[in-house]
Amino acid sequence: MRYLPSSPVEDRALLDTIGVPNAEALLAGIPEPLRLRRELDLPPTGSEQEVFGQMLDLANTNTRFCAQFLGAGAYDHYVPSAIDALCSRQEWFTAYTPYQPEISQGTLQHIFEYQTLICDLTGLEVTNASLYDGGTSCVEAALMAVRVQKKRHTVLVSRGLHPLYRQVLETNFAPHDGLKLVEVGLKDGVTDMADLQAKLNDDVAAVMVGYPNFLGAAEDLTALAGPIHAAGALLVSVTQEAFAFGWFEAPGKAGADMACGEAMSLGNKPNFGGPFLGFLAVKDAHKREIPGRVVGQTKDLEGRTGYVLTLTAREQHIRRDKATSNICSNQGLVALRANIFMQLAGPEGLRGLAEQNAAKAQYLRARLLELPDMEAVPEVPFFNEFVLRYKGDYAALQEACLKEKMLPGLDLGRFYPEYKGCILWCATELHTRQTIESLVEILARVPATV
Amino acid sequence: MFLRQREPLSFDRSVPGKRGMDLPKLDVPAAKDTRPAHLKRSGFDALPELSEVEVIRHFTRLSKWNYGVDDGMYPLGSCTMKHNPRLNEKVAGLRGFTDSHPMAPDAFVQGNLGMLFTLQEWLKEITGLPGVTLQPSAGAAGELTGVMLIRAYHLSKGAKRRVILIPDSGHGTNPATAAMAGYEVVELPSMPDGTISFDDVTDPVNGKVRKGLKTLVSELGSEIAGAMITNPNTIGVFEYRFKEISDLLHSVDALVYMDGANMNALVGVARPGDFGVDVMHLNLHKTMSTPHGGGGPGAGPVCCAEKLIPFLPVPVILRDTEKVGEGEVPRHTYRMEWNRPQSIGKVHSFYGNFGILVRALTYCLSHGGDGLKTATLRAIVNANYIRTRLKGSYALHIDSPSLHEVVFSDTNQAKHDVHTLDIAKRLIDHGYHPPTIYFPLIVPGALMIEPTESEDKGELDAFCDTMLQIAKEAEENPDLLHQAPVLAPLRRMDETTAARKPILRWTKQL
Repeated sequence: MRYLPSSPVEDRALLDTIGVPNAEALLAGIPEPLRLRRELDLPPTGSEQEVFGQMLDLANTNTRFCAQFLGAGAYDHYVPSAIDALCSRQEWFTAYTPYQPEISQGTLQHIFEYQTLICDLTGLEVTNASLYDGGTSCVEAALMAVRVQKKRHTVLVSRGLHPLYRQVLETNFAPHDGLKLVEVGLKDGVTDMADLQAKLNDDVAAVMVGYPNFLGAAEDLTALAGPIHAAGALLVSVTQEAFAFGWFEAPGKAGADMACGEAMSLGNKPNFGGPFLGFLAVKDAHKREIPGRVVGQTKDLEGRTGYVLTLTAREQHIRRDKATSNICSNQGLVALRANIFMQLAGPEGLRGLAEQNAAKAQYLRARLLELPDMEAVPEVPFFNEFVLRYKGDYAALQEACLKEKMLPGLDLGRFYPEYKGCILWCATELHTRQTIESLVEILARVPATV
Repeated sequence: MFLRQREPLSFDRSVPGKRGMDLPKLDVPAAKDTRPAHLKRSGFDALPELSEVEVIRHFTRLSKWNYGVDDGMYPLGSCTMKHNPRLNEKVAGLRGFTDSHPMAPDAFVQGNLGMLFTLQEWLKEITGLPGVTLQPSAGAAGELTGVMLIRAYHLSKGAKRRVILIPDSGHGTNPATAAMAGYEVVELPSMPDGTISFDDVTDPVNGKVRKGLKTLVSELGSEIAGAMITNPNTIGVFEYRFKEISDLLHSVDALVYMDGANMNALVGVARPGDFGVDVMHLNLHKTMSTPHGGGGPGAGPVCCAEKLIPFLPVPVILRDTEKVGEGEVPRHTYRMEWNRPQSIGKVHSFYGNFGILVRALTYCLSHGGDGLKTATLRAIVNANYIRTRLKGSYALHIDSPSLHEVVFSDTNQAKHDVHTLDIAKRLIDHGYHPPTIYFPLIVPGALMIEPTESEDKGELDAFCDTMLQIAKEAEENPDLLHQAPVLAPLRRMDETTAARKPILRWTKQL
């Protein structure tokens, strides 16, 4: 087996030094009856050529689309070549969590820079080395809000949050008898202010709002912050499309106390949903309650600037059952991709990409609305996703698109019965005018259903 | 070895007007601005302005301050730092995988679903457990999922249980997980070899009695939801009374969770499903060689017994086989099943760290069943070789047979006022990444060494020679160790000030 370096002669020498006749003799500590008395019923060793062939077959079995008009939490953006090239350096991708700072300054300085940039994007003061994904970042944010807001046990969740994130929240809140998740409804595509006000009380620790929300709409964080703060609750913004940070105001500057969500858009492909990049940024006052790894700047013995993992008294390896979270491994390499992406883009690149995304989505929307079966829903400021009502049959539309290797927008009825017949469309900088025109042509040919 | 030159923060290098990214020409009308004034993005304070050249050099230089698996042995115990095959990286980068959208209809991602299904089948055979979810993103996420399955199991029987038992030798994630799943943690005392004590243990120092497993089970009984047990334990010793432990717990319908962090010692040799485990996680970034990435992404699939399958997270990946004529190859189609009324729900936004799962299956197919077992045996031989060569100079924590890792303590060196941290830092000067230190907590000054199967005799000897030299240095010139490292880019860091006056991001100097 090519990954196992010892030769038979070397093996013999190792066993002789240990003083056992064979490797099996070293299994003495495993009681006989608990051992597997047969070989694993699995195929034998595969050569690189054979395995590559098998995996390539699987990859090729997926349909390759020429354009995807689907976002819904996984966005297709262009990934600069420098990212793959840099991340394939073994010093980055094979290294462990930087427990030994003297030989991990690369990773540590990168995380410090990454933390700086996530704070910049969100307009907040403290963040960590990353969380798993958007859904679990909501869980960590909600649990943190409850810790910070002692004696408050309810978290209000806007129905505009990604429906799968809400499911992850529900799963993780279920075991906590004392804690409650309460949904706040939508009105005209954004959080219903009247419903919110009716549900705010002195048990509410935080309110979580999509920014932009799942329907693509910009929630007015500033307007929401008023009543939320008046009720003593924290406003948590949840962003599933990080490119929106180049278009809409930083949540921390618009009234949010915490910002969490998904940053896969910064340098990653959709990858069937993972590995993605969860983030959570908070105010300085709350830094000792943040979950996960945090890197800080310090000096070495000779006074030279360097970086270390810090505030570890919050973490599982020190505090065990009193830790702020159980998280240990996070999404380090994905955070590196995001860091490189942000540094390549710079302020002008990020703003420019955001403008292009907004322009493409607006153009797509305008062109789709020229089709007789597409209807506007009340328009709210959106970024690169928007909802249209479709009078035709979604299945027929989907079939027509797929036949032409185009992935259409999401059938919203799947998650929102009240939006049955509506489609969530997405366009990014990758969509040329030509692909948008092709989509419109395909849709124009879909037979009307009676 | 390391780049000696200092690399400044990129923010300090930023020069207005530089660009590292050119945008495509906009071929549609510019965006109309419909944003209310207060929601328009204001300025950025930190995003640097750099050219592509500078960004590439920055991250290349920074990388040279890291130690990676290809630099040499990385003996972190419990972390299983094995070789990261390049084939796995190449496969994970295939556009058929990377471009696929998680919300695409099942019919168009049959390759992905087939990949996930196949990996599940491998993990079932390896663990001897019939249920699998690949959703958890890391070991700790797997633990949480597993413990929530236990909770759902008891709730389905109309009972809510209060307590999870965890040995004091366990990973910190275990108690942290139990707390996140709403349980109270009761600590199980362990014996010197890290195995769970059935009997009460009297602390030799303060005379306090700690209740053993038998007492706890008889006193707490049906309040116990389960126990989280690392096997082999964090000393590298197989929990040899595992069957008795699981029988005792099962007698009160408590379930057995196995922390699979050390599964690299068992693959092909013993299966948790065969020795009484109800639910466990695997760390694919340990056992299945997926790269650690400087802290992730990992993958922590959960495998479980039949009785827990109804509670697995949604969606579950299923295979349908079309009936075909005699002699023909059966046609399989795969689908995601979302409607599972007893499911605990979702534990990841989508289906887990898919790209990592692709790498893990590639590792499995490369090894094959035979190669997986050989890898296990080699890992055990390598650890025992280090144990044999070093035990004269470093104090072995215990004498029982250990499997894939070996734990020493610093008692021999402490006589010269040299401690574990000094030994670890001196290893850096000799060109190695240090082993895991001060863990498990039950071993004073622990040095936990796990060579994995990826080292040949030459590498093992070089490492052992170095460790022996350090032991000699400790006797003859302890200051050399106290000062270490001196050859790394930086000396020891002031961690106290870092925590007391935290600087957690760069800010513009005004």
